[in-house]
Amino acid sequence: MFVLSIIKDTLPIHPSDFGIPAEQALGTEINKKYANRVLHDVGLCVCVFDITEAGEGKVRYGDGYLWYRVVFRMVVFRPFASEIIMAKVKSIDSDGMRLSLGFFDDIYLPASFLPASSAFDTKRRQHFWVPPEFDDEGQEQPPPANLHQVEEDRRMYIEPGEQIRARVESDEFYDDEPGPPKALEGVAVQRVPRRSPYSIICSMGEQGLGPVAWWPSDGGEDAMEEG
Amino acid sequence: MEVLNSRAALLSNYEVLTLLRDLETDHLTRSKTAHRIKKEEEGAGSLPAAGGKDPNVVEISENLRTIEVEAIQYLAGELQPTPQQTPAKIQELLRGLAPYNLTKAEKLQIVNIAPQSAPVLWAIIEEVEDRLNIDQMNEIISLVQNSLSSGQPQANGIDPSLQTTAWAANGPEADAEGDAFYEDDDYMNVVEELQFDDTGEGAGVEGDLDVDDD
Repeated sequence: MFVLSIIKDTLPIHPSDFGIPAEQALGTEINKKYANRVLHDVGLCVCVFDITEAGEGKVRYGDGYLWYRVVFRMVVFRPFASEIIMAKVKSIDSDGMRLSLGFFDDIYLPASFLPASSAFDTKRRQHFWVPPEFDDEGQEQPPPANLHQVEEDRRMYIEPGEQIRARVESDEFYDDEPGPPKALEGVAVQRVPRRSPYSIICSMGEQGLGPVAWWPSDGGEDAMEEG
Repeated sequence: MEVLNSRAALLSNYEVLTLLRDLETDHLTRSKTAHRIKKEEEGAGSLPAAGGKDPNVVEISENLRTIEVEAIQYLAGELQPTPQQTPAKIQELLRGLAPYNLTKAEKLQIVNIAPQSAPVLWAIIEEVEDRLNIDQMNEIISLVQNSLSSGQPQANGIDPSLQTTAWAANGPEADAEGDAFYEDDDYMNVVEELQFDDTGEGAGVEGDLDVDDD
């Protein structure tokens, strides 16, 4: 879920911070610049882990800052593909769900990545899953043709705010930097809605995934044999 | 800015949580001292020292505080195994997992998620039916359960047993200051060791991850 990234940068230290040990001042400066920000193709920066290398501070012409060349290691949130993460359901709509980790909430779970034989209940505005049924020989029954006709007590709903386990399928970075001005003056340019710089797509169509309550700690044996 | 290596090493949730908690205690003590110094100065009626800031007064960036608090909340959450983990227990778990030929990523997830039921373990380990039999899976689950202490979650993530070993190593003649230093030092070593464990055993997992990405 978290990785260490090695980053090299040149950072200025303000003269008022000269009284502080340089290492500490640099750490603060790095955290100020990177914490809680998304680096393209790296991930969401959390905080500095340690400073590997720092040069001598140099004064440049024009300002009184001491400029340091530093190489440091950063704790970065970047789950790898196929990693399983615990997340909370933030919001639900017919297209899927949005999950949140508290510190990061651009995690999407499209309806197509829900377990097989699940559907959206338009009245309750929640997705539900119909667990497969087994006959006496342990053979799996084909799922009902119309899931909306299944009785309420056989449906397993995913409630908002519920903790679920989901598998990371892919992640995507989006550079929101405005490009060079286009030669389109006088033409109404359509504003593209802001996209989040880093988003993660998850799935839960497997055994062991989904709301934590579906897979209790004990009695897991039976569930395993079913699959 | 230049990114030299975007994925130099993997960190377990527990390591991140301890790091963030250290950072938070640091912030709290610092803001307390700053507050106290301010009060003392006001009481003495003297002007604050001119030129340069007091080393104790370091402004804390808003962004850092936000992610720190939110990430601690997530990592120490109710359903997370982290509050029940200790560095020694994690090392023990990793040693126990060594014979099963799991990849580094799988071991990391077993530590992070602490699967206590077979279906969850199925989801973590790829092609589990070819690689492990049911007995082995039950063994892994019991290893995981042993690695979680049922005791009270610790306030700042420092294992009390580590502190006691630090005391013992220093001997009775070491003074209080020395003890504090060694304690700290010893503790850092554990973190390093943990990280070394991660990088050492499954070398080349970065390669594995690349394959996953494809």
